[in-house]
Amino acid sequence: MAKRGFQGAVMRGFGARDHEATVTGTERLAPNFLRVHLSSPTLFGDAEAAPTAWLRFWFPDPDGKDVEHQRAYTISAADEAAGTFAVDVVLHEPAGPACAWAVAARPGDRIALTSLGSSKFELPEELPAGYLLVGDSASIPAISAILRTVPPEVPVELYLEEHDEDDWAIPVPGHPRLRTHWVPRRGPQSLAAAIEDRDWSDWYAWAATESGTLKHVRTRLRDEFGFPKTELHQQAYWMYGRAMGKLRAQSEEPEPEEAPAAAPPEAPEPPRDRQVAWRSQAGGRLLAPLRSALIAAGVVQGLVTLVQLAPFFLLVELARRVIAGEERLWALGAWAVGLMGAGALLSSLMLLWLHAVDARFEQDVRRRMLDKLARLPLGWFDARTSGQVKQLVQDDTLALHYLVTHAVPDAVAAVVAPVAVLVYLFAVDWRIALVLFVPILVYVLSMSVMAVQSRAKTSQALRWAERMNGEAGGYLEGQPVIRVFGGAASSTFRARLGEYIAFLNAWQRPFTRQKTIMDLATRPATFLLLIVAFGTLLVTTGSMDPVALLPFLLLGTTFGARLLGIGYGLSGLRSGLLAARRLQVTLEERELETAPRAQNGTEVSKGEVSAGTVEFDRVGFSYRPNVPVLQDITLTLEPGTVTALVGPSGSGKSTLAALLARFHDVGAGAIRINGRDLRELTPDELYTQVGFVFQQVHLVHGTVRDNIALAVPDATDEQVERAARDAQIHERITRLPNGYGTVLGPDAALSGGERQRLTIARAMLAETPVLVLDEATAFADPESEYHVQRALSRLTAGRTVLVIAHRLRTVTGADRIVVLDRGRIAETGTHTELLAGGGDYRRLWDADGSSAPALATTEEHR
Amino acid sequence: MIRTLLTLLPQRGRVTAHLGLTLLSVALRAVSAVLLVPLVAALFGPDPERAWPWMALLAAAIAAGWAVDWAVTAIGFDLGFALLDTGQHQVADQVARTRLTWFDAANTATARQAIASTGPDLVGLVIYLVTPLLSAVALPVAIALALLAVSWQLALAALVGIPVLLGAYWASGRIGRAADRAAARANSALTERLVEFARTQHALRAARRVDPERSEVGAALDRQHGATVRLLTMQVPGQILFSVASQLALLLLAGTTVALAANGDLTAPEAVALIVVIVRYLEPFTALAELSGGVESTVGALRRIRTVLQAPRTGSGTARAAATGSARVELRGVGFRYAPADPPVLDGFDLTLEAGTATAIVGPSGSGKSTVLALLAGLHEPTSGRILVNGEDTAELTADDRRSLVSMVFQHPYLFDGTIRENLLTDAGDVDEAARLARVDTIVRRLPDGWDTRVGEAGTALSGGERQRVSIARALLKPAPLLLVDEATSALDTENEAAVAAAVAADRLGRTRVIVAHRLASIRHVDRVVFIEEGRIVEDGPVDELLDAGGRFAEFWRRQDAAADWRLGTKT
Repeated sequence: MAKRGFQGAVMRGFGARDHEATVTGTERLAPNFLRVHLSSPTLFGDAEAAPTAWLRFWFPDPDGKDVEHQRAYTISAADEAAGTFAVDVVLHEPAGPACAWAVAARPGDRIALTSLGSSKFELPEELPAGYLLVGDSASIPAISAILRTVPPEVPVELYLEEHDEDDWAIPVPGHPRLRTHWVPRRGPQSLAAAIEDRDWSDWYAWAATESGTLKHVRTRLRDEFGFPKTELHQQAYWMYGRAMGKLRAQSEEPEPEEAPAAAPPEAPEPPRDRQVAWRSQAGGRLLAPLRSALIAAGVVQGLVTLVQLAPFFLLVELARRVIAGEERLWALGAWAVGLMGAGALLSSLMLLWLHAVDARFEQDVRRRMLDKLARLPLGWFDARTSGQVKQLVQDDTLALHYLVTHAVPDAVAAVVAPVAVLVYLFAVDWRIALVLFVPILVYVLSMSVMAVQSRAKTSQALRWAERMNGEAGGYLEGQPVIRVFGGAASSTFRARLGEYIAFLNAWQRPFTRQKTIMDLATRPATFLLLIVAFGTLLVTTGSMDPVALLPFLLLGTTFGARLLGIGYGLSGLRSGLLAARRLQVTLEERELETAPRAQNGTEVSKGEVSAGTVEFDRVGFSYRPNVPVLQDITLTLEPGTVTALVGPSGSGKSTLAALLARFHDVGAGAIRINGRDLRELTPDELYTQVGFVFQQVHLVHGTVRDNIALAVPDATDEQVERAARDAQIHERITRLPNGYGTVLGPDAALSGGERQRLTIARAMLAETPVLVLDEATAFADPESEYHVQRALSRLTAGRTVLVIAHRLRTVTGADRIVVLDRGRIAETGTHTELLAGGGDYRRLWDADGSSAPALATTEEHR
Repeated sequence: MIRTLLTLLPQRGRVTAHLGLTLLSVALRAVSAVLLVPLVAALFGPDPERAWPWMALLAAAIAAGWAVDWAVTAIGFDLGFALLDTGQHQVADQVARTRLTWFDAANTATARQAIASTGPDLVGLVIYLVTPLLSAVALPVAIALALLAVSWQLALAALVGIPVLLGAYWASGRIGRAADRAAARANSALTERLVEFARTQHALRAARRVDPERSEVGAALDRQHGATVRLLTMQVPGQILFSVASQLALLLLAGTTVALAANGDLTAPEAVALIVVIVRYLEPFTALAELSGGVESTVGALRRIRTVLQAPRTGSGTARAAATGSARVELRGVGFRYAPADPPVLDGFDLTLEAGTATAIVGPSGSGKSTVLALLAGLHEPTSGRILVNGEDTAELTADDRRSLVSMVFQHPYLFDGTIRENLLTDAGDVDEAARLARVDTIVRRLPDGWDTRVGEAGTALSGGERQRVSIARALLKPAPLLLVDEATSALDTENEAAVAAAVAADRLGRTRVIVAHRLASIRHVDRVVFIEEGRIVEDGPVDELLDAGGRFAEFWRRQDAAADWRLGTKT
């Protein structure tokens, strides 16, 4: 193995395992782009074929010398189960080892490779506004993997540096929102300069180019466009003119962070004319008002930490005086007591002050959240589960509390204590201080070896955890079946549990030795032995005063634990910052605004308001830019008529209905009620016109009466009762423990259908001329369905109704049926007209069996 | 917590060995600490060379400590892996024996986590939690005892210090936790209003009540703000108590040492060396304080396992019963409630099912019909009254015999990840006939791998109706004397309706059949209909008789027909 040189030795030290792969074929994808198909039965026990993951190949020397060259290549295709994969090699002249090997490769050829260290492109939970990809022919395999991963609705800007005309011929997978820019290389700056100067806020950048180019790309992205570090992945894939004329030696090693201090020629100062803002930095914006308070707290905590270490300094002084036979020892005691008291006092005061600051800050955040919630579009709430909203409002504010009151002081203490000890010990005697790093080094080395070795297993462990979560859920859900049909029904779960335990064993067992070494190395006893042995040596040889040994005996033994505690101390900051980010993102969410009333709009008199004419005028809408959900919808709802929206799931019917209730604002065109644009109405004006009853039932905390009379708090008891009777719920209410005065809750729970009828009663009393309905489908029993239907019939009488229909049969009597298809109106008419027309409706009707259940029971609601 | 741990660790010998070796390691550490006294004294003395023999002894003690710790860690890991194995299996076993009523949302989540995500924590539990905890408590004691050899006064002070410091540690944690709880309560009281405000936005906007409600919530937030600040200040004493106590201890012990030296009881180098030993003595307490932060997830894992292991189990007896032919089933004065605090679903419920008959239970949702079925199936146990099968009280039967009495079609058919054949769970019985009756044969013909097609996780590779049919075949194949069918509420396709009807129609085993039905088609062939409302039998008789009588049952069916014919927009 000597032929692999130093790099090979290091990799073996990290436990890199060799795998042998056999060439199964080659394929020329472009004149200068060769795909090599390989097969290795053992590789995927170690490696994961994640997007952008690479393998390290050991290529033979092209000149026949007895050395092997390591080059990394991205996995461009893989079948993990079959153990087959492919890599793409860019061909160039003069050829390097990889290129030479690939050109000569024939089926049956063998090559050694390892999977040590790799990257993995993953989509974050919250997608960025777009992906900016920067690369060249060498990174096209990785870029292809990214393009296959990025969802179709997310825009992608791809900048490729062209080195050769043939580069154009290299196939790149398609993506519906991809824009590709080829930039001929004229120097290391040309690619960076070509990247469009625009607002890249909330974009994620992935750059893998030649190393000289990368420096300029990095400067442009980070300094000029303001990309935060967390939103920028950058790696040099090769180096121009490196390795004796071998033009392209693809190397995965990232270039050192410190670029030569050459000021970017284009713009020394980042232009500040553009307001750039990344969501990932939102946490910082939320906490900005606390900045000075937190800095002050950090300084005070630093002082407190030093004061808490003071007794050890005093003990050293005490020992010195005892040895010297000095008398005035009590003064030291007084100092110790004084410092202790001061430390306790200072730390209490700081905690109290931080709590006060935090309480004021949190109150402010809650206030702003309250105002925000009142102004967010209702669609925002529909797009989130109640759990997510709760997480935001409840858990995240709690995490924020922890961040402000504890995490910052903890982090400061975790960092200041070991640094102070280190400085002190080095000042006392640098030789022994240096020895203390031996165990730390052992720890860090073992740790990184372990981290590298278990990398593949770590991602497997994540998959296992996910899988077991599903299995456990199934096992719990399947309990009734297992109880009735016996143990055999749970046998697959048991087998899976066994496999999982076996996996954990196989994963963790090999590391027990390393973990033991790490544990023993950082024990106080180990430090003690090192200090005493080395100290005795220095003292007996007369090169150290024995007093100098005392600081080490007092503070040096726990030095390891202190130093390793830094990571833990800092971890509290991370979760708090994430919470802060989520809160701020919500606080920056777009609000519904009321536009000033257009002057040319026709004045509507009081009498006409109740008419309830609704016009959709060339309405368009999309949740994400350029992914239209609705297009060019023009439709008029005449007063007092029922209009039904039908269409397959995803056709946009729920979205269209939600727009009329202004859950979102239209992207194009306008919706007018009695001639007035929806956006000119205040929410209160709007909802005197438009009411809605959707499947999701929203009851407020309070009595039955409160819930019915929500919109008309001063309604008389008779009015409330009439609404309840019309909604078929009066009789059920009288059977509640306290009738209309019953507070709804666990003791007075209503069934789903009953809750629905309660909201119908509410809409009944609100008496809006326009009504948006979702014809509900899911009922626990037919009797409940019957009551809801009767209630709906009463509610809709005489109003302008827009109904989302799931079952065609229920809307055959509608005045007008609108068939939607992929966001456009396909046809409209009455049931008989549409059936006769023989269009989409006819097909839906026939497919429906003219009676059977639903087209879609769950809607495309977002 | 310790008991939970011990029940999960069956290897008593290894546990004892671990404990013994840990104490040995602690003793060696104490010895090495006290060896510092002569060593440091020699270094400060006139002839530092005399420190070397002590140095050698210290090195020997520490090296021996390493050896012992190596063994302790090895055993600790072994125990950890054993814990993983027994812990996971015991939880899985317990889940299968826990009363189904225990599985509310919170407990289900706990059980799920206990199975799915405690594994990695369990492996490290012994070496990262148990061993350090044991050492941290035992080491100060050992050092104090070893000090007896040097200075009895200091040893005494050190011994007295132990309960004081542990007490401070305990109190500090307790105050801290109480303050955290109070803060969390105050916080959730504050945020619950906000969550409620967010939850009801739709209703508030539609009712034009956003602004008044917002100012009300805002006022409530302001009112509670003051109270919260006061509560939060409780955090402070907890956070500084332990740190003050340990600093105080250091001060007092160092003061004692110096005083002893001043009195001439100790030489100056001895006193200095003892100060070093005192610091050693205090180290474990600090380690203890640091330990508490890092092991939360491990303790949480153990707590979840304990919660599951302590869940109430289903009862069973020792009596045997023959699971053949047909069964006469009696419910006598049966009462049932899901939780002790809940109102009863059934109370004094009587029902007799004659052997070989088919009975339909019909009623509105929430009437208790599914509960009756679950009680018959043995999924729930009655809170009062008895269920007799052929005169034998089911509560007296062994779990296996109780299970062998029933077969069931569930409303939400759960299939496990395996082939269709495996899901039928049988090698006996006439597979072909059951498959034909349940219309599984048509599914099997359509699928590429036929009977050996995998149904996917929770049966997701099949459509809802197909899953239902496989589950019907599974129920038909189990040769139990009592067959229960909980019909799906959603509309069925014709194949499914036929499958359900086949399950209920007289079968060749002549078993007693009960169906909770939602469709007239499904109950055409039953001998008797029992209409239940609010946990009571309201009507009871043959289908035609009840329909003719024009009572609740007749009205129920009339409404169902009306619902099926309903059209929006046509005036009713």
